[in-house]
Amino acid sequence: MADFTPEESVARPGVTSDAIRRLSRRLGENPQFAQQRLNALAEHDSLPLPDRVRHLWRYTDPNLLVPAGALDPLAPVTPIEVADPPDGGATVVLQPGDSVASRLSPEAAAAGVEVAALSSAAANLTRLGTVVPAGHGVFEALNGASWNAGVLIRVPAGVTLKGPLHVVVPAAGEGTFPRLLVVVEPGAAVDLVEEHERGDGDARVYGVTEVFVGAGSRLRHVVIQGWSPGVRGHLTHRTVLERDAEALTVLSNLGGRLTKADVGVVLAGEGARSEIVGMVLGEKRQHFDLHTEHRHLAGKTSSDMDIRAAVGGRARSAYTGLIRIEENAPGCEAFQRDRNLLLSARARAETIPELEILNADVTCTHGATATPVDPEPLFYLQSRGIAPDEAARLVVQGFFEPILERIPEPLRARVRTAVERRVERLKGVTT
Amino acid sequence: MAESTALTDLNRDYESRYGFHDPEEYLVKAPKGINHEVVEMISRHKAEPEWMRRFRHEALETFLAKPMPKWGDQQMLHAIDFDDIHYYLKPTEGMGRDWDDVPDNIKKTFDRLGVPEAERKFLAGVTAQYESEVVYHSIQEDLERQGVIFSDMDSGLREHPDIVREHWATVIPPTDNKFAALNSAAWSGGSFIYVPPGVEVEIPLQAYFRINAENMGQFERTLIVVDEGASVHYIEGCTAPVYSSSSLHSAVVELVAKKRGHIRYTTIQNWSTNVYNLVTKRAMAHEDAVVEWVDGNLGSQLTMKFPCVYLVGERAHGEVLSIAFAGDGQHQDAGAKMIHAAPNTTSRIISKSISKGVGRSSYRGLVKVHKGARGSKTSVECDALLLDDTARSDTYPTMEIAERDVKVEHEARVSKLADEQLFYLQSRGVDPEQARLMVVNGFIEPFVRELPMEYAVELNRLIELEMEGSVG
Repeated sequence: MADFTPEESVARPGVTSDAIRRLSRRLGENPQFAQQRLNALAEHDSLPLPDRVRHLWRYTDPNLLVPAGALDPLAPVTPIEVADPPDGGATVVLQPGDSVASRLSPEAAAAGVEVAALSSAAANLTRLGTVVPAGHGVFEALNGASWNAGVLIRVPAGVTLKGPLHVVVPAAGEGTFPRLLVVVEPGAAVDLVEEHERGDGDARVYGVTEVFVGAGSRLRHVVIQGWSPGVRGHLTHRTVLERDAEALTVLSNLGGRLTKADVGVVLAGEGARSEIVGMVLGEKRQHFDLHTEHRHLAGKTSSDMDIRAAVGGRARSAYTGLIRIEENAPGCEAFQRDRNLLLSARARAETIPELEILNADVTCTHGATATPVDPEPLFYLQSRGIAPDEAARLVVQGFFEPILERIPEPLRARVRTAVERRVERLKGVTT
Repeated sequence: MAESTALTDLNRDYESRYGFHDPEEYLVKAPKGINHEVVEMISRHKAEPEWMRRFRHEALETFLAKPMPKWGDQQMLHAIDFDDIHYYLKPTEGMGRDWDDVPDNIKKTFDRLGVPEAERKFLAGVTAQYESEVVYHSIQEDLERQGVIFSDMDSGLREHPDIVREHWATVIPPTDNKFAALNSAAWSGGSFIYVPPGVEVEIPLQAYFRINAENMGQFERTLIVVDEGASVHYIEGCTAPVYSSSSLHSAVVELVAKKRGHIRYTTIQNWSTNVYNLVTKRAMAHEDAVVEWVDGNLGSQLTMKFPCVYLVGERAHGEVLSIAFAGDGQHQDAGAKMIHAAPNTTSRIISKSISKGVGRSSYRGLVKVHKGARGSKTSVECDALLLDDTARSDTYPTMEIAERDVKVEHEARVSKLADEQLFYLQSRGVDPEQARLMVVNGFIEPFVRELPMEYAVELNRLIELEMEGSVG
């Protein structure tokens, strides 16, 4: 075709190969890693910015996520203290450097749970970059080249942990590159809380999390995005489920100025089951763009997605959800639902729930709705002397309740606390 | 395996079932490819007013400058060779005023399509498009008395230049997309309808379209204007002969429903499976107006068609009811768009698709609620049926909501032909093939119900043909 020309490759600010080499030396990692990073950098430099014609970027200008200037993955950060580990779990603080600050409960330590700096970890590294390769996209490639806060978490086969593994990921400076590699070996059961927090006005986060759940294992993975108001970030998550593995992924998108999140679960083994549930809460000029997907590669797998977004002020939520059932995956069940709640006249919500079904032996449905705040409870609440903001808070909490109820305790309490804290800070959300 | 043989047979049989075609006999045939000379030739040949000549040339510039869509079936889209298509041909001199004046070879084609029978069945008027020019056209006298204009687009432009110019390209400007630009530059034929205020046309107006010459592009242009409080039902049906290389069909259909106006536009599209059918259809619905698209897509290799209603007046209502049947090697990329731009507007989309063999059907839709469109309500329902393990179904519904006081609902389902249903029917003595057909007929019944009787019969017959020998 005469007028079909590929996107021109444009040099963008990011990191230099020199900075990458210095980073790799500083982290003391093996030369094979350095080469992987340089390959990712080459990928980053050759990939065009995402095309806005493609629906995944229809609502977010990728230029808003491009670094303002050259980034230094070695920029110093203020260390954060590691809190006491939860009962039967562990606490990890993921900050740039060649070591990872963590505290394991005696039970976790005794069970052989491994928490190690990704740059120095020896085992399982063949999995790094296999489910989120540099070719996934520009920002994943940027992370692949520059990750400076990397952690490997490994839960040995057959281990059931009572408490969660709580990973705190603080945003700092113009380039924060967290990289999580989580391996749950067969027959294990664990809860993982990945909490993104803090960040000054310039902070930009480019994060990648890869999770592998072995046969018959169970993972509950809570991602709380509670950045400070000015932060912009791009987070990509992929989880692979082997035969009969089971995952619950809980997304709470609460903070930051601009969030682009791409969260997917690959049902790779027969009998695998996955649920992704999520909450988005925005006010003022917050912008959230969330993509979730379930890819059924194997037969007899089942999935369910349930996302609720509440936006007030001039906030905007864009959501795309995909169910894809591959050709040789018979007997699958997949469900998807998403709801939007607009709290103000200037808030906006966009939704694209998608299905790609390549196998006929399937049960698949999805639904989406957008409704205003039902004026009746608001009126009722206000007639009882409750101010508009307070009434909206109650309505939002009611709106999120069905999602929270899908999370088992004690994780639910933890998510509820994060959401409620955010809800309490809403101000002028109905205008 | 009987099934695969049957599918091959289906394509082979197409030639005898619908694929009859006459030796080409043309007075004017433009050389292949499109450029300003071809556009000039078309315009001169039609003795068009200067504004239309300029419109075509400007549209050509837009076409040349615009890139191909970056979404949709990229492989199929980029297989189009714009230089290998004839953009204009004119089969006979002038218009056939009377059936007796229509040349024999063309008559033969229409006979097989059933146009004369259709007319005997009290049709209002027949605008039968043979290649690029309308050759036969009649209007019942009572319509004329009511002031209803129903003609081919070229005559409409000649005889009612003011109405045409006032509404031309106001709903779909050439800049809308590459194929609308191509149509704007090369358009020929199509229908023009104007219904004066308060007039309700009681019988459906119909036109048949047909591609005949190999590599012949058809670029009809249809404009329907329904004035205040008036109503019309227009029916477009298509069949085409089979040829070896792909043929491009790229129509533009503009509907304007003024205050309290009502338009229903029904299409049964059954192009042969080498045709690319890339169509832009859009309506403007003013205050209290109602626009309904009833859209059936069975044929073609690739269809991209997303009938749209702009709800620009308060309380306007838009509706799309569609079915798509994707057989082997076909991609039906169809859907609907509803743009709510005024308060208390309502819309409803019901889409049903069936994929068979290695066929693929995609629902692609947009519901947009602009700020200020308070009290609007919309519901979207997508239902897909997969007949074979190799078939594919996609659903890409987009919802953009910029207004708080609205109600938006979307539901989608994908299912396979249920074994229980088949088992039940077979246990009642229904043979497997008949059982499959019964289930499919039940699935599309809500659509068929909306069709005039003769179309419902024809559609059921077409589905039956598509389903023939589908049980191995």
